[in-house]
Amino acid sequence: MEPIDVELSEAELELPEEPMLLNVGPSHPAMHGTVRCVMELSGELIHRVDVQVGYLHRGFEKMCERGTWAQVFPYVDRCNYVSPMLNNVGFALACEKMLGIEVPERCQWYRMALGELARISDHLTCDGAMAMELGAFTPFLWMIKGREMIWDIMEEETGARLTHSFGRVGGMAAPPTKGFKEQSLAVVEHILSIVSEVEKLMFGNRIFLDRLEDVGVVSAENAISLGWTGPCLRASGVAYDVRKAAPYLKYDEVEFDVPVGEKGDCLDRFIIRLEELKQSVRIIRQSLARMADSGPINVVDPRVMLPPKEEVYNTIEGTIQHFKIVMEGLKIPAGEVYSYTEAGNGELGFYLVSDGSGTPYRVRIRPPCYYITGGLEHVITGQMMADVVPCFGSLNMIGGECDR
Amino acid sequence: MSTFKLDGREIPFEKGDTIIRAAHRAGVDVPHYCWHPGLSVAANCRMCLVEVAPPAGRPALMLDVLRWDSAKNEYVAEKKPKLVPACQQGVADGMDVLSQTSEHVKRARAAVQELLLLNHPVDCPICDQAGECRLQDYWLEHQGTKKRMHDEPVHKPKGQIFGPTIVYDAERCIVCTRCVRVSEELAGDPVLSVSERGNLNEIVVSPGRQLDHNYTLMTEHVCPVGALTSSDFRFKARVWFLRSVRSVCVGCSKGCNSYTDFDPRSLQVHRYRPRDNANVNKYWMCDVGMLDYRRIHEGRILEARTSGESTTRESALTRAAALLAGAGGKLAIVLSAEHSNEDNAALFTLGTKYLGALAVFYTGRPQGKADGILLESDRNPNTTGVLSICPTAKPIAELGQAVAAGQVAFALALGSAVPDDATASALSGLQGLVVAATHEGTLPQAAHVVLAASSWAEAAGTFINSAGIEQVSERAIPPLGESSPAWKLFAQLGQKLGHPTGWKRPEQIQANASSAASEVSA
Repeated sequence: MEPIDVELSEAELELPEEPMLLNVGPSHPAMHGTVRCVMELSGELIHRVDVQVGYLHRGFEKMCERGTWAQVFPYVDRCNYVSPMLNNVGFALACEKMLGIEVPERCQWYRMALGELARISDHLTCDGAMAMELGAFTPFLWMIKGREMIWDIMEEETGARLTHSFGRVGGMAAPPTKGFKEQSLAVVEHILSIVSEVEKLMFGNRIFLDRLEDVGVVSAENAISLGWTGPCLRASGVAYDVRKAAPYLKYDEVEFDVPVGEKGDCLDRFIIRLEELKQSVRIIRQSLARMADSGPINVVDPRVMLPPKEEVYNTIEGTIQHFKIVMEGLKIPAGEVYSYTEAGNGELGFYLVSDGSGTPYRVRIRPPCYYITGGLEHVITGQMMADVVPCFGSLNMIGGECDR
Repeated sequence: MSTFKLDGREIPFEKGDTIIRAAHRAGVDVPHYCWHPGLSVAANCRMCLVEVAPPAGRPALMLDVLRWDSAKNEYVAEKKPKLVPACQQGVADGMDVLSQTSEHVKRARAAVQELLLLNHPVDCPICDQAGECRLQDYWLEHQGTKKRMHDEPVHKPKGQIFGPTIVYDAERCIVCTRCVRVSEELAGDPVLSVSERGNLNEIVVSPGRQLDHNYTLMTEHVCPVGALTSSDFRFKARVWFLRSVRSVCVGCSKGCNSYTDFDPRSLQVHRYRPRDNANVNKYWMCDVGMLDYRRIHEGRILEARTSGESTTRESALTRAAALLAGAGGKLAIVLSAEHSNEDNAALFTLGTKYLGALAVFYTGRPQGKADGILLESDRNPNTTGVLSICPTAKPIAELGQAVAAGQVAFALALGSAVPDDATASALSGLQGLVVAATHEGTLPQAAHVVLAASSWAEAAGTFINSAGIEQVSERAIPPLGESSPAWKLFAQLGQKLGHPTGWKRPEQIQANASSAASEVSA
């Protein structure tokens, strides 16, 4: 068969010398919210890319500095909104560190169990969405079904599926419900079976593997210098996990492993989340086994805890306590703190400054996503255009957390 | 200077100081209810109890006490040091005083606080004091425990009318007697006293009397709890929504320092509170001054007027400029002792430097009765200031003669009130009168053009009191209605007449005014 352009002269076939500029986002389904990538393409190859965050800007930190310390909880809910419980607990721990108080043991186990459930929901969402963006819709539906089960638990415990605002300085808003242990154990069992089905489905799929393997490789050195933490860092082979490196709550009393990847490519980042999810199940089982069925959930400290309503209505002491905490806000001693926990995407740090009043003087958040998204440029430069999708998907950028 | 130790901190003191006074001066707070720096010592609340270490080589005075041991479920014998009230204990050199660092003191304060709340009603949600109440603050700082008494609390009369300004709630009262001492020591009218004893005691007004001296609101001001409330402020605002600026009372020439408390949402001024100043008003303000804030919102002129008809500022300024342009050499200016130096300086500069006015008068509110304590007979805050801007200014009463003599036919005036009725008739003889006024009064009534000026709460201003002390009053709220600070109005009027009076800040006028003043006196 003759080529169709046989009539054309050589000059007319000349390829363009200028690289092509392509805007992806800020409103693009593959951009997970509002990130804009200005790409310089040579054919399908990405020469250079300029990743721009900041299209989602709520002034999160400044909003926190207007209300009382307790009024920050709804805001941190909206940072990583796929695992808000981890943010809630992270912020509560930061405040408690400044106050020098420790919540009762039962509450610590409760916080760990809820937090690991949230981590599972985070990882299920990330891996499910990643597969879906590559055309595999089935695992997405399976994994979101698992996430729904976790959100059912959250709804039962907190009254809300997504933004719980359930953390409190000095405890939690409510003690565990009666069916919490039973329901959680059943759900994690179910989730393990979902994960094994997903593994069977995906890891025998040549197309899926080809799209992920050796794509978006990040070396351990680069991951560290980019400030990466969490699953993305561990996929590059660095076994850094805040739960092991600087244990908080009761993480030093439970057994779990820190899975690490070998190559730091997209496939490693996909697998690491599935592996971590299994570790989370281990932690949940141990936490639930050790959590007492009764006992206090909140600290006994008039500075931070609201009194029971019948005392507020019937005694002057209760009224005063309620008044001081609600109207003036609980007072955190003047000083500053950096408190960090392992959130869904890595190290979630809160740098708080208090001037001793009921309102935070400064709330600075170190969202793991922000640093990970900062590495996107490094990950996709030199890749094919089509690889942007799995690369970006494997980083698990959460818009709310990237708020700048 | 000699010092003593309070919780390990060296604190200087003067001869005759008590522990609490020396600490107060050094900025260290010893918790107290009944002590007030401006009143005598009562030492009845026992909140300021401290532990004083015995002199070296001497044993401490220890008391035998029984302490309830909840573990053993019985009383155990114990010794504790004799605590002393910091408000009454004199200081000696090298004395070692323990306040917050002593377990005995902490326990005593918690017990005192618990006792004070024993019969206290659950009133915070409906109490005006909530948010600035010592009982609330000290419960959190010094007690922090729940109610242990489950008996019905003692009930006492609520909402008693003590006089035209004060309502008393006996249930909330901790009988610290601050109000009794204010009446006796500050107002010199011992109309309040304590009746009954123990948990039945309460404050009462002398039979046949009312609480009606000129310092009744100070009894409310010093009340550390919500027992005495001002019937003026009662149920008007919650204090945590209010914001404060440092102001100067304009009720008389004393120039008492105050805080203006206003609601930033409604831009409504709700009250004054005295601000400590040892040189002027110490800790106090009189009722006349305390209630003077109401004039910020009452009787105000909020729109410009020409010939009695409301109009825009712009057209009023045009009309005023046309009037004054034809004044020739017959223009007088009238400064106001009610207004700040800035407003007066602007008028003085405009009038003498640019408009060629040769006659300068000043007006103000009529004289009142002095009370011999704070309130002075001159009810204008800035008479001294006006006379320092123009020492040759004559009282407005002499304007009538000048008009009759044909020397003055036009006047540019600041202020609302005139001191006497005789002046009012003189004003009608003017061919043109332009007035910048805050309130309705004789001057704006007689004026051909009225410009709406902002009051003292809507612009920062400097006032010089009768003792010659220059004080700045800060701006609380933005100008109400269509009003504008008077100095700005004069600046705009000057520009309308083609003069370079585009002052952006009041400091620029001050510079001009002093040079103008030197020209006139020279």
